[in-house]
This record gives sequence, structure tokens and C-alpha cells, in this order.
Amino acid sequence: MKRNTKGLLRASLSVAAAAAIMASSQTAIAEAGDPIRELTLISRAQAANPQQFQAAELIAQAWRELGLDVTVQGMPRPQQSDAVWYNRDTWDLTMWQMAGRPERSDPDELIYNLFHSTTVENGYNFVGYVNAEYDQVAEQQRMTANREERKVMIDKLQDIINEDQVYAFLVHPLQTYAFDSTVWDASTTVEQPGLGIKNFWTFTNVAPLGDQRDMVLNSSDELNAINPFYISGATDSWITELIWDRMMRIGPDGLAQPWAAETVEWSDDAMSVTITLRDGMMWHDGQPVTTDDVVFSFTAPVDFAPMYKPFVDGIANIEVLDDKTLRFDLTEPNAAFETSTLAKLNLAPKHVWEPLLAALNDGENAESILEETRIGSGPFKFNRWVTQQEVVLDANSEHWAAPEMERWILRVVLNVEATLGMLRSSDLNFLSDYTGDPSLLIEAAEADGDLEVVESVDIGFQYLAFNLRRPPFDDAAFRRALSAAINRELIRKAAYNGFAVNANSVVSPALSYWHKDGIAEELDTGVDLAKSILEEAGYVVDGGRLHYPEGQTEQFAN
Amino acid sequence: MVYFLKRFAQMIFVLWTVATILFFMFRTMPGTPLAAFIDNTTTEEQQQALIEQFGLDKSLGEQYWLFLTNLMQGDLGQSFFFKKPVVEVVMEVFPNSVILTLSSLLVAYIFGIIAGAYLAWRRGSWVEGFGIPLVLTTRAAPEFWLGMVFLAYFSFHLGWLPSGGANSSGAEFSSEWARITSWDFLSHLALPAITLAIYLQGLPLLLMRSNMLNVLQEEFITMARMKGLSTWAIVIRHAARNALLPVATAFALGIGGAVGGNVVVETVFSWPGIGRLLVNAVAASDYPLAQGAFLMITAVLVVMNFIADITYHLLDPRVRVAARG
Repeated sequence: MKRNTKGLLRASLSVAAAAAIMASSQTAIAEAGDPIRELTLISRAQAANPQQFQAAELIAQAWRELGLDVTVQGMPRPQQSDAVWYNRDTWDLTMWQMAGRPERSDPDELIYNLFHSTTVENGYNFVGYVNAEYDQVAEQQRMTANREERKVMIDKLQDIINEDQVYAFLVHPLQTYAFDSTVWDASTTVEQPGLGIKNFWTFTNVAPLGDQRDMVLNSSDELNAINPFYISGATDSWITELIWDRMMRIGPDGLAQPWAAETVEWSDDAMSVTITLRDGMMWHDGQPVTTDDVVFSFTAPVDFAPMYKPFVDGIANIEVLDDKTLRFDLTEPNAAFETSTLAKLNLAPKHVWEPLLAALNDGENAESILEETRIGSGPFKFNRWVTQQEVVLDANSEHWAAPEMERWILRVVLNVEATLGMLRSSDLNFLSDYTGDPSLLIEAAEADGDLEVVESVDIGFQYLAFNLRRPPFDDAAFRRALSAAINRELIRKAAYNGFAVNANSVVSPALSYWHKDGIAEELDTGVDLAKSILEEAGYVVDGGRLHYPEGQTEQFAN
Repeated sequence: MVYFLKRFAQMIFVLWTVATILFFMFRTMPGTPLAAFIDNTTTEEQQQALIEQFGLDKSLGEQYWLFLTNLMQGDLGQSFFFKKPVVEVVMEVFPNSVILTLSSLLVAYIFGIIAGAYLAWRRGSWVEGFGIPLVLTTRAAPEFWLGMVFLAYFSFHLGWLPSGGANSSGAEFSSEWARITSWDFLSHLALPAITLAIYLQGLPLLLMRSNMLNVLQEEFITMARMKGLSTWAIVIRHAARNALLPVATAFALGIGGAVGGNVVVETVFSWPGIGRLLVNAVAASDYPLAQGAFLMITAVLVVMNFIADITYHLLDPRVRVAARG
């Protein structure tokens, strides 16, 4: 459809082009359209995200060799979001990133939301990618319960994105974490692909070696909320998943496994799932966890938790079969249901939350409720939260998966150098959030001797987004050329200090089952290649400046 | 009394002006408060819900009127981010900020006054030649650098003092009072307070010194010398007391200024305080919280200014007479 409109545009302009050809004596110019406008590449400001900014500079440099006039503009995040997310017709190029989260262990969330045409207007598809074939396969994989068949589709989708170069993928950064190996038994930490050792399984499993039984970890961001119906930032979710249980958990293998559910059984048509609740579960206030609580936790979000609503929309009905068993009926088969719903929704106590929700005014929802007891049923109990300083959780010894540690203490430390210092002076014994240069951490660990550093590839990735609404970025050949001109090896080494792997897919190599092997190598690169792709597609360099193909005019000249 | 009322009315006017400027300033800034949520929120429905929840669907005039009437009742609104009343959020860290500011100001001013008076007395000596450049250098040293050096040495190297926060991890206290009087709190306070004091001491020291130099030229000092009074009596009883007035004003203003100006020290030492709160609120376009925190700082500044004026009025007969005339 897009090709057609462009064809029309070309036809309508051909008269003008013919006139231009006759008027001009130089054939090189005669074949060219308008010069391509000056382009602005938006990035986070240098101070806020030096890696991203440097990558942007390197990209702009390479593109100048192609004859483009590119400027990098650093912006604070809210301003960047405002420009890119809320004014979707106004920008050309932006640096962007997708963060890794446990629920993103299933490729569906990113595969579907980022590129499906239904999310173009307001959702995650902010680049404006519309491809009917892609839509169809993306919908199909959702309804395919067979893993092998689904894998074929996920591969196909990765191929389409590679072919169209909707994004210029750059890298999957390596996450670095560290802990004091004299305090924690290294063999009891658990590495979860894409998330590293900072995960639910490490926190519930790790065993102290001596008298220090409190885990002291760090967050480099301020915290905003601890609420089972609301995630206000990345760090919140580390806390909520420890306090509130879920029916299933994403296991260290990246797949959902039963947790508060004893068993999870699917019907043959994949339209309903029967769940048996684990025996003897208790809320932190001593009340039993009942099937009513489960129903409440999956129905309350429809009206009261906008953030979780999309994940329960696919539930048609929940039937309580007896005091331990429930059946979820779905509106349509959904392969990602376990990951994106059963392993995502927090189980919240009905007796605490129902009266609070009932007291809300119109237009308010569970996000505006400050419920300070924070009663859950999870392996950790909420103790207290001191603003801008720390959150303290106590191990729940009654839990069937009771943690080995005594307390889990998250300190807010904004200063990266101080974070490293604290780790070495044992004020911290688990480095859970490190935004500094990984090589400094490794040096510090070598000097210290007690610290063990663990690196792992992120589920998330860094990329450059083209605005497909605005020519020339609607042309896949143009995007392929621009993407080919990017030297990812240089970016990986210079901007990320080598702590990253090259990317060319939304599905990270950390998700080894779903990632299409070798897709990063399928992308041929080089400035010469880029030039030849452009030439083939009809773009012309004249006077050092890249021009549109014959007959195409500049609609967005500034 | 009339003077007092007049000054009071002026103070209210200043506060109203600041509140109004703040209100419109934050709303004309680029960026929307929704931007802070978009990583998690997707649909338009959800965005609309947020807009309504924040009251951003009302007209600017309506929002302003609501803001003013609520303000009169001491209600600064609800923080978009923390989902708590602004007053509650601010008050959680306000004691930390006030204590850090007051303790460092006290150290800075006591040291500054004594050292300033001494340097004035020793004018032209080697002490002055050495002292003034030293004061200027420490005054000019960036706070974050000084803070990092102190952290690296006293905390990480020597291990004498804790490295960050206002309390040890997981420390529990029976009350807020017990917390801020505990050894744990005071040891955490030491490094940030000293860093800030070093930064702040330059002003009172140099001010005191130049005032002293002026006062020492005065005839009553010559008179005192002629009477054969001791050096001690001349410097402390006669000269210093007269030179103190402008320093007292600077102290009062310093309290207001320093309450809001501690972002750097708060960040370096992970000290929970109002400066960090403010920076976050601005970055996240949390209008109510940013307004509230700024207003609190303004209020402290204006009230301190007011108190300084009134004390001046009481302390110095000349001002009293001028005000009447």
C-alpha cells in the first residue's frame, strides 16, 4: 500500500521532473530529486547517557560521509519522550532503548507491541511501521501453542524486521553485577538469561556464609512506589515481585513455571487453563490466601490498574471450581498467556484492597492508593521505606520458599563512585545497579579480591529509530543503506567499552530459544556498501550532498 | 508594630508572587508529566486516565485557582509521582535538610567569624598572606570534588566515617527524635556537614574580616587603645560586636539559600534531602511536588529575611530610627 502511494507521488511529479531534465544541461543533476533536508538525531544528553550520545555522534559522522547533513541533539528524557512519543509526526531520527524485564522473556511483548500496526497511533510502534504480512504473522504466533511452530514464526518476524531495517539495532549491552563472595555463597546465586544474577531466584536462594545475613544492595534511581497494581520505575518491580506472589514465575530458563499455582493445565483447544492453588498459602497478616483473592487479583486491574489491564483483557471469565481450583477462560488462544499474565499479575489480598478500591473517586485508580502495610504472600515481608534512603524487607520464614537471608535492604545511592567505594568497604554486599564503566568495576574487584563480578547479555537493546512517516525514511532501501553505514564494532568498542554484543533483532541472544541465530551477522555493513545501496535505489550525490531519487521532492524542508 | 505589619504584608506578597511564577513556569516548561510514565503506559485510554487523575484536563485558569485556594488551606496538593500529599513527602526529608544546613552553617559561621576577626587583627602579617589564599581556594573548590576526596579518604581509606545515607542500612529507631540524636545519625552527618561548611565558611570569614577592618579604623577603637584596654577587650568587646551585624544577616539568608542549594552534597553523600527531591520532581515534571518544594524553600528564605530584618530592628537603634522617620 505504501509503495502505491509513492508510485502515485512519483507519477504526479514526473511532469515537473521532465521539465527539470530539459532545463538542465548536466545529466548528473538532472537525474536527482531535491536535496535531502538537514536531519536531527535526538539522543539523551551526554551527561545523562554518555554511551548513547557517543554512539549517536559516531553514527552522524558515518552518515555525513554519505552526503547527509546530520546534527546530534542531546535532550533530557522527558523532553525526548515528549518529542518522539507525543508528537509522532515531527521528528526524524532518535536514539532509543528497550529495557529488559522478566516478562520480556517471552518474545511476544516486544515482537507484537513494537511493530504491529495497531500500536502506531499511541502505542509502542512510535516509528509508524505498517506491514500487513508482519501483522498477520505476529497475530498468528500469539495463537500458536506449539513451541516449534511458534519458533518458525518468530524467526520469520525477525527476518522481516531485518529485511526492512525498521530500526537500526546497535547493541545488547552487557549487564554487570557483583557481590561479596565472602558474604554470599557464590554457588547459590542464580543467573537468569537476560537479567543476570540480580533476580528473584538469587534473592530467594542465595545463602550467607557467615554472620552477615542481611543483603545490602543498591539502586541508582530514586524509588516512587511500592504497590502491587503499579510499577512506576524499573527498581519498583524488584521489590514488588518479592513481596507479592504470582501464579507463575519466569524461571531461570526464561520459561514460566508454576509458583503459587500447584499445577497449570491447558485444555486441548488452548482456550482455557485450570489452576490448582498451592496448599497452606498465607498473607503476611496471617489470613489464608483463597481462590477469591486470586479472582480479585485478576479482575480488579480491569477497572483499577491501567498498567496491568492489557494483560488481563484476554480473560473472558474466571470460574471457581472448588476452594483450591480455578479455571481461566480466554477470549482467544494466547501462547504468551503464562508469561504475560499468570507470571506478571501480583496476587493481592482482597480483604485489604477491596475496601480501598471501593472508596476511590471517579477517575482515580489503584495507582493513587498508598497502601502502607503492603501485605502480600511472597517470600519477603515489607518492613519499611525511608524516602530517598532505603527499603527494608524481612525474609518470610513461613513461606514455602523461605529465603536464606534475614533482611533484604535496598539503599539508594546516586553517586557511581560512591557505589563502588561502598562495595569495597562492605557497606554494600551486592551490587544490583551499576551504571558506570564496567572496566572500573572489574579493576576494583581485582584490587579487592573478595568481589565476584558477573556479566550477562541484556534482554533489552539500544537502537536508532527512523520515523517511517517522513520520507526518505519510508523507503526500506534508504534505511538499509543508513543502517549499513553504521560501524557497530566501533560503537561497541568505543561507546560501550566492549561491554555489549552487536544487535540486529528485538529478540536478544539472551533468549537463546527464540533468538534467530546469526541474525546480527546477516547484516552486511560498510560505507561503500551503503553508497552502492543508495545508488541502486536512485539516490544521487551532487555537490557533496545526498539527493532524493529523480522526481522526488522534499516535503519537510526546514 | 506598624512596621512589623507592613513587613508581614510584604512577605505574604512575595510568597504569592513566587507561588504564581512557579505555577506558570512549570506548566510552560517543555515536557509533560506523562512522559515519566510512558515506558510503562501504552494505550491512549491509559494516558487519558492519567491526565484526568492529575487534573491536567482542566483549564490553566481553573488549575491556578484550585492551586491558590488549596495553598491558602496549607494543602500543596498530591505528588504525581509519590501519590502522597506533597507536605508529607517534603516533611520526610525536611528534618535531614534542616539539620545538615544548620550544623554546617553553624560550623562555617563560628569558624568564619573567629578566623575573620583574627585575620583582620593580623592584617599585613604572614598569617594573612597565607590565610586569605587558603580561604579563597577552599571556597572555590567544587563541592562534589571535595566531597569525593573526603569520602575516599575518611570513609573508604581510613574507614572512620560511614560512606552515605543519613543512617546505617537497616538501622531502627523508636522515634524521629531518637533517630536524629543517635550516634549513627551524627556520624553520617559529619562528612556532608564538613564538606558544606568548608564551602560556606568563605563568606562569613571575608565579610567579618572586611567589617572588622572598617571598624578598626573607627575613632572609638582609637579611643579604646588610648584608654589602654587589652587587645582582647578591643577585638572582642568593641570591634567584633560591631562588625557582626552584616554577618548575622548573611547567616539568616544562608539558611534559606542552603536548604535548597545542597543538591550536590546530598547527591555525593546519598543524603536524603530536599535538594534531591526537587531535582527529581523537576525532571519528572511532578508539578505539585516541585512547586511545593520550591515554595517551602522560598518560605524559609522569606521568613529568615523577615526575622533578620526584625532582629536588625531590635539590635541596631539606627535602623529603628530610620524606619520611624
